[in-house]
Amino acid sequence: MSIPRTPLSLSTDTWAIVLSLALALAVRAGLLKTVGW
Amino acid sequence: MAGSLDLPDLRTEYPPHAPGRVPAERTSLLGLLPGILLLAVVGYAGKFVEHFINTYGKAHHYVLPNIEYVLWAILFGILISNTVGLPRIFRSGVATYEFWLKAGIILLGARFILGDILKLGGISLALVFVAFAFSLTFMTWLGRTFKLGPQLTTLLAVGSSVCGVSAIIATQGAIDADEEDSSTAIAAILALGAISLFTFPLIGHALHMSDRAYGLWAGLAVDNTAEATAAGALYSDAAGKFAVLAKTCRNALIGFVVLAYAIQWARKGLASRAATAQLENKAAFLWKKFPKFVLGFLFISLLATLGSSTNPHIAALGFSKPQLTALGNLSRWAFLLTFAGVGLRTNLKDLFKQGARPFLVGAVGEVAIAAITLLLVLGANHFFHL
Repeated sequence: MSIPRTPLSLSTDTWAIVLSLALALAVRAGLLKTVGW
Repeated sequence: MAGSLDLPDLRTEYPPHAPGRVPAERTSLLGLLPGILLLAVVGYAGKFVEHFINTYGKAHHYVLPNIEYVLWAILFGILISNTVGLPRIFRSGVATYEFWLKAGIILLGARFILGDILKLGGISLALVFVAFAFSLTFMTWLGRTFKLGPQLTTLLAVGSSVCGVSAIIATQGAIDADEEDSSTAIAAILALGAISLFTFPLIGHALHMSDRAYGLWAGLAVDNTAEATAAGALYSDAAGKFAVLAKTCRNALIGFVVLAYAIQWARKGLASRAATAQLENKAAFLWKKFPKFVLGFLFISLLATLGSSTNPHIAALGFSKPQLTALGNLSRWAFLLTFAGVGLRTNLKDLFKQGARPFLVGAVGEVAIAAITLLLVLGANHFFHL
């Protein structure tokens, strides 16, 4: 079932901003550890 | 049903018949997973091979060329999509590579303080204007010389001077170009982007360019954002960072360019009524075409800048150094998925079947633009010590 015309029907840009800010908040709250190279 | 929310509708950004692009369909979160997993596997395979070759060379005292994971990931992707092909189950997930690109750019904001962005962004913008004026004039002249249609010429000029595929798609509606012209221009830009991945790092190394100068050049001369990011990262991690900054400056101008073309076509009476109607509210037009992810990049960079303040109250509002490192890591992971996607969506057969003339116009134009931007960057490096 898809839910058209909800606030979740966002553009790719908005989704990218939402995900990035969520990750940034998680890092800031100490909830997310990352590995890099 | 859980997991069936409306996810990014990529259909507008991935025209179903555009060559070299993976047709995307609206799908559930679950439907995206196979493709995203494939991006992760292909990207990580690139990282694994880079590490393996380095370790093997050291253990056996061989001097092996250090080939970045970026190239391996792209090559593995190209190999898969051009031999066994991309099964339908992976397509919608693979098409999210542009989403990961944008997320990676936003998170990359953690590796810039606003002062850097203002300085390098200012230089980039100045160079963008010069390169832009040159490429528009030159591509338009080339298109006329090779007797391409005015729409196709415009799309090629915009694609090569602003920001590749996004600019072509944004301009297509404004000048009423048909799907065939748009697909041809996209194919030419993508084919030339693929070629630049292999040539730019070689030229950069041959000229012993600094990371900043090379990154700036790649960001100014390579058209599509994903390819510009990859071309930068192929040189070095730092060069990738500067390539993204320069490319983001170019991307920010997309609205102004499309608006200028739309006005010109409407004045000539060549635009449709729908396209002309869009011009009534120019601010709304500009906002619609503005790449919003740039705002996310600036916001994360603002928090990075606040965190570096010597005033503890202000610094508490921003990110600490370990947090910035963590965000930089996340950005690299997002780019890993992007690079795999660049390879997986590259269909060599489609890229080179668009006809010789558009490709030739694009190729001659791109070589000239690359040479001019290289001179501009070398000049800026001389005067501003990039």
